[in-house]
Amino acid sequence: MDTALEVRGISKAFGNNRAIDDLNLVIPRGATYGLIGPSGAGKTTAIRVIMSILFPDSGSMTVLGKSSALDAKNRIGYLPEERGVYRKMKVRAFLSYIGRLKMGERSRVDARATQLLSRLGLADAMDKKCEELSKGMLQRVQFVAAIVHEPELLILDEPFSGLDPLSVQVLKEVIADEQRRGATIIFSTHVMAHAEELCEQIVMIHKGRKVLDEPMSGLRRRYDTRTIRLEPLDATTDLMALKSVAGVERVQLTDEGCDIGLAVGTDPAAAIRNIAGTVAPARIELARVRLEDVFIRIVGGGPGSEESRQALRTHLQGLSGVGVAS
Amino acid sequence: MMQRVWMVAERDFSVTVSNKGFLFGILLMPILICIFVFLGPRILNARSPVVKGQVAVMDATGSLISDVRLDLGPLAIAARSPPLGVPSLTARSRDAGPRNPLRKDGPPIPSISVVEKPSSEDLRVTKNWLVQGPDGPERHLAVIAIHPDAVKRAEGRSEYGSYDLYIASRLDENTENVIHDAMRQALVSARLKDNGIDQTAVDASMQVVRPVSVTVGVDGEHETRRGFARMLPFLCGILLFMGVMTGGQLLMTSTIEEKSSRVVEVLLAAVSPLELMWGKLLGQLGVGLLMVVVYVGLGMLALLEYSMAGLVDPMLLVYFVIFYLLASLVYGGLMMSIGAAVNQVADAQSLMVPVMILLVAPYALVPIIGQNPNSTLGVAMTFVPPVNSFVVLARLASGTPPPLWQVFGAMATGLAGAGAAVWFAAKVFKIGLLMQGKPPSFGTLVKWARMA
Repeated sequence: MDTALEVRGISKAFGNNRAIDDLNLVIPRGATYGLIGPSGAGKTTAIRVIMSILFPDSGSMTVLGKSSALDAKNRIGYLPEERGVYRKMKVRAFLSYIGRLKMGERSRVDARATQLLSRLGLADAMDKKCEELSKGMLQRVQFVAAIVHEPELLILDEPFSGLDPLSVQVLKEVIADEQRRGATIIFSTHVMAHAEELCEQIVMIHKGRKVLDEPMSGLRRRYDTRTIRLEPLDATTDLMALKSVAGVERVQLTDEGCDIGLAVGTDPAAAIRNIAGTVAPARIELARVRLEDVFIRIVGGGPGSEESRQALRTHLQGLSGVGVAS
Repeated sequence: MMQRVWMVAERDFSVTVSNKGFLFGILLMPILICIFVFLGPRILNARSPVVKGQVAVMDATGSLISDVRLDLGPLAIAARSPPLGVPSLTARSRDAGPRNPLRKDGPPIPSISVVEKPSSEDLRVTKNWLVQGPDGPERHLAVIAIHPDAVKRAEGRSEYGSYDLYIASRLDENTENVIHDAMRQALVSARLKDNGIDQTAVDASMQVVRPVSVTVGVDGEHETRRGFARMLPFLCGILLFMGVMTGGQLLMTSTIEEKSSRVVEVLLAAVSPLELMWGKLLGQLGVGLLMVVVYVGLGMLALLEYSMAGLVDPMLLVYFVIFYLLASLVYGGLMMSIGAAVNQVADAQSLMVPVMILLVAPYALVPIIGQNPNSTLGVAMTFVPPVNSFVVLARLASGTPPPLWQVFGAMATGLAGAGAAVWFAAKVFKIGLLMQGKPPSFGTLVKWARMA
């Protein structure tokens, strides 16, 4: 397998705080990996170590065939979590400078910057100073700076934080284009839905340790939620009657209808048929696995931890909408 | 690697020199010097009003009043006053003649009239005249009480008597000096006359015109100008200080700016910390060098204007550039490491103290070493970096430059000092750039350098 990144037993501590603990990771070329975990998990530190911005206390790695990212910086695109630009510099000049620092050819860099800015709705901002742009616009400019030199490896730390839904959508499309171009993409996020949508493989980090490294498809199989979502045709129907259906373990009412928990070993297809026969559905589906649930199961498992699970769930939901440093 | 270093250097250089603040700053100093040198004396003297008033004289000798009146006259005062900066050779001349045109820039000549008071009058009454309001437009300036033995020595005494001077409360120092000079003139003149000596002959005998010496060199002959030679080490020190200080400050603030605006992480994704550091260092070296070139260029133009360009040895300019670069590497490196360690300019103040001491100490040494370039202190300091850049330049610019081996020795130790400073800066820069929170102490910086 041709690997873009291989991390072997990397650890990094700040004083007594172990930010990364024995991290091992292999990312094949062309893959899209999601690095997820709550605030303070060590995602940003891991990325900075991969980028050779920070140096590990132990362990080694191979980045695009080199022993350090320092030797492959021109082939890597990086969008840091903490956004920064030269405030007095014009957007075009900033992108040209960053692109040329990555040894991009000036004319090629300028042409690509122009094309990407137009695509991201920033055609009018090209000759403006960075300080004249809004936060969201600056974020898009920085995203362009990360990919303007057509990198082979693209590392995005919280790329969607603070963006409006329309910009998020356009950014996702550009990321997909980069993937089609052949770039390997690693992106760190708190927003599990983004990782579910974009990534083939998920790496979860918790307290500096890798707690999960699996393909998204495998996760869906392994962490089957055994939950059926039902929206009844008649809103006045007594949904608690579903408790009597064979294989149904619990019924939890929601705004639209209810979530129905199945007993272990119950065939979901048979259960759906039985439920639909009891209550006429406007919509009925097998709930897909949510990374949030997987994460909670992994790190919040163990006896008597329902309370801590609930706290973790609340925490993760709170993080879903905002970008917070990890 | 070098290409990226140059790109960073080019950006830092162009951004700094195209900044309005920098352009204003670089022009401000020559403008201030012009104001200070050319307009200052004119402005200061133009504001002094002409003092008009009366001086009461109680002449106990009974023979001096006419001489005093003559020597307090405007023509005698003007004749005694030398042009600015030139010692008077004819201070005793009472010949009026036309007033020296150069005198126009000096303080205005007071208009003094002499009022004779009987020597028998009670001195307390005469002194009271000073505090009384004037009868007319003229103020009461002073009372002079001439001793009886001021012209003829008293029996059995080898010394002459003198005079007492009582002045009004708001009499300026210049007018008081004018009165003292006039009294001295009148007394000396009267005493010589009393001894049968011709004052004109004495004046003429005392005059030996000092010629301006001519320096003979391989490039021909020119008038010796000691004043400029004395100033040159000091000027070199100022230029070096300004270049190093400006470059270092800009380096520190630009590093803090990059750190606080978080652009540094974007840069570190493209260049290594060492490349970034060298790029910034070279960029600001260029900025300081540009400033020095502008000032040296202006100075040389001024010297050419007065046909004095030959006074500056071209090798001095070469040495200046070399030692400027060495000093800039040391101070620039230290200032940049401070910039990398803190998050805002205010946090840098405490860390800057040791660096400022290192910078001001040699600056303070320059005048001392300029006076005595080959003293033990001067020779010893030639080999102590980073002070030696200032010291060796002061010695090179003096009339007795050091031997060549000492200059090369200074270069070698300066280079070692610069290497150590850049090594320290690189270590601190690498760790400090991504550090946030409480600013570190200087001790912490040293710890970072040791652990990086």
